[in-house]
Amino acid sequence: MQPLFSHEAECAKMNLSKINLVVVGHKDHGKSTLIGRLLYDSKAIPEQKLQEIEGELKKAGDESFRFAFLLDTLEEERRGGLTIDIMQTPFQTKKHLYTIIDCPGHREFIKKMFTGASQADAAVLVVSAKEGIQDQTKQHAFLIRTLGIQQLIVALNKMDEANYEEAKFQQICEKLQPILDSLGYRSPPIVPLSALNGENVFEKSRKMPWYRGSSLIETLDKTVSPFVPPFSKPLRGCVQDVYEIEGKKIVACKILAGILEEGKIVNFDPSGGKGLVTKIETFGKKIEKAGPGDSVGLIVNKLKEAKRGEVISYSQDRAKVARSFVAEIISFSGIETRNNDTLTIRCGTAENKCKAQRILERIDPINLTVNVKFPEILKSGDVGKILFSSLEPMCIEKYSEFPELGRFVVEGRKGTVAAGIVLKIETAKVD
Amino acid sequence: MKAKSLENPYLDELEKKSIAIIREAKAQFKNPAVLWSTGKDSTTTIWLCKKAFFGKIPFPVIHIDTGCKFPEIYEFRGRLAKEWDLNLLVAKNEEAMKRGVSPEKDRFECCTQLKTQALKNLLEKEEFDALILAIRRDEHGIRAKERYYSPRDNDFKWNYEDQPAEMWDLYVKPSEDFSHMRVHPILHWTELNVWQYVKREKLPVNPLYFANNGKRYRSLGCQPCTVPISSNAQTIDEIVKELEKSRTPERAGRAQDKEKAYMMQKLRSLGYM
Repeated sequence: MQPLFSHEAECAKMNLSKINLVVVGHKDHGKSTLIGRLLYDSKAIPEQKLQEIEGELKKAGDESFRFAFLLDTLEEERRGGLTIDIMQTPFQTKKHLYTIIDCPGHREFIKKMFTGASQADAAVLVVSAKEGIQDQTKQHAFLIRTLGIQQLIVALNKMDEANYEEAKFQQICEKLQPILDSLGYRSPPIVPLSALNGENVFEKSRKMPWYRGSSLIETLDKTVSPFVPPFSKPLRGCVQDVYEIEGKKIVACKILAGILEEGKIVNFDPSGGKGLVTKIETFGKKIEKAGPGDSVGLIVNKLKEAKRGEVISYSQDRAKVARSFVAEIISFSGIETRNNDTLTIRCGTAENKCKAQRILERIDPINLTVNVKFPEILKSGDVGKILFSSLEPMCIEKYSEFPELGRFVVEGRKGTVAAGIVLKIETAKVD
Repeated sequence: MKAKSLENPYLDELEKKSIAIIREAKAQFKNPAVLWSTGKDSTTTIWLCKKAFFGKIPFPVIHIDTGCKFPEIYEFRGRLAKEWDLNLLVAKNEEAMKRGVSPEKDRFECCTQLKTQALKNLLEKEEFDALILAIRRDEHGIRAKERYYSPRDNDFKWNYEDQPAEMWDLYVKPSEDFSHMRVHPILHWTELNVWQYVKREKLPVNPLYFANNGKRYRSLGCQPCTVPISSNAQTIDEIVKELEKSRTPERAGRAQDKEKAYMMQKLRSLGYM
């Protein structure tokens, strides 16, 4: 087995913007095949890898998996023709360096899809022209919207099995459009293509002269834009740890939004501490400012106590300490939530106990209508809204204002068991 | 290599994410350690650990010694351990070495005994609850399926079919059901990123990576199971230039990756790196 990397692509990427692209859709609608085709056509695959795959295809006796084989590396995946776990692979176009995140489409694999989709800037929803819109088509579109992914492109795959007919394309578009509209995706591009035969993937196809739009790659390059770090927002950062080094107390802090500058006073919440940042420490380099994504050490004057989990901000537009909040929750396997359950919520670097005060609604991710108001329980795989009350003071923000502090996970026995997006908060008065 | 790519802010992006992950691991686990093969990836990783903790790594650095490493590896190990003030621990499965486990007899067994088992023994003895490892997604298909935080059970097994979710950059320590956590701070780097970073940071490089009589090693392993590639690259710039043209994979010289199509998958599910 060999990695799927071309070093030429790797080098060139230095001047390209990076986009993480998650590929979702109903199982067997051809996600892996589409990704394999993208990698093949963009020449991102080493020769040896291709030879190895040829060999295994002969053994398997079924060449239709050819492109999917490029992606699926586990023995079970190749044998079963089914992706079991997510995979990230890069390919490059004239404009961007894309990392494609391939997510399994099988029902039980929602948590994997989430793992992949939580890293994505944009999504490609693969729909088979032969099978049309299926449950997971709607479900995945709903879930990526819930996760806050705003850029969506539809790949209407398997046009070869629909004789490249315009009528089939139109028929599916008419059904798909209202569903995507209802999710807030206003007229996303829909590209008819055949991943298997490479029609309309990299190059514009001659087999569909009725289609006026661009190939999938051109459409991506034209419509998708990279993530812009929140430099201009008010300062937010979370304390990772506090070190004592040579008698100095260094607060290790990850900046989430805004710019931290030396010589300014910062607040530490929810504890309410504050102090003057006298120095930003990094090993071997002198810096005076730190921005989103930086993990830096702070020397803070007159700070009594700082601990992991606290949020730093300036007094103007200070971090909010919430008493209660409403969040949209997506649960994975192994968790059931009832009214009054206590959950451990991880937001930023803080872990807080919160009570599910009331489950407000349960949304059917397939029919996309609210089906139950005030249900008793949210089961594994369910999506719903919960009113939480925090049992101890905690900093949390609305997702729409500070995504980095407006999303959280619920911690369980096996790690992350649910994810949440904060819709509304009610602040507590701190002093 | 062009000066432009050296100044590349992308390397800073990679570095900050890695440093944040290393700090998360230190804060969340009681007794972490970092693995070091002396290769470019793990040397980069211990350098990142040094940066994360302002010069002194506050936990042990483990080297798995199969007894058949290249002499250059031992020399490099000793020199850097001293220069970088590392708390070096050597993991060795003496019992299996005495028994005569060898790649000639059974390569799978050899890797499992001399590497995985050696590490297991040390882990039990020292009670480490987190191991920082320098694997990268682009190295191997099976490694591309890894998470930044990857829990291992008491038998050391990696349950790749049922991995926990990992959302955004919220790395979670499970409350139970794991014996130790594998932490992968450079999972998102590529081979080329590592070389560019090694050059930028002026990190020491094991001489095996540079060409000697027309051959050099692209990936370092045990002497019997690692073959060099044809190369005249004598500097990092020349290595980078060579990689830009190469369409062969990095680990092509590593026997355990190639023997059977799924050997690496099986080794890893049993706790191999």
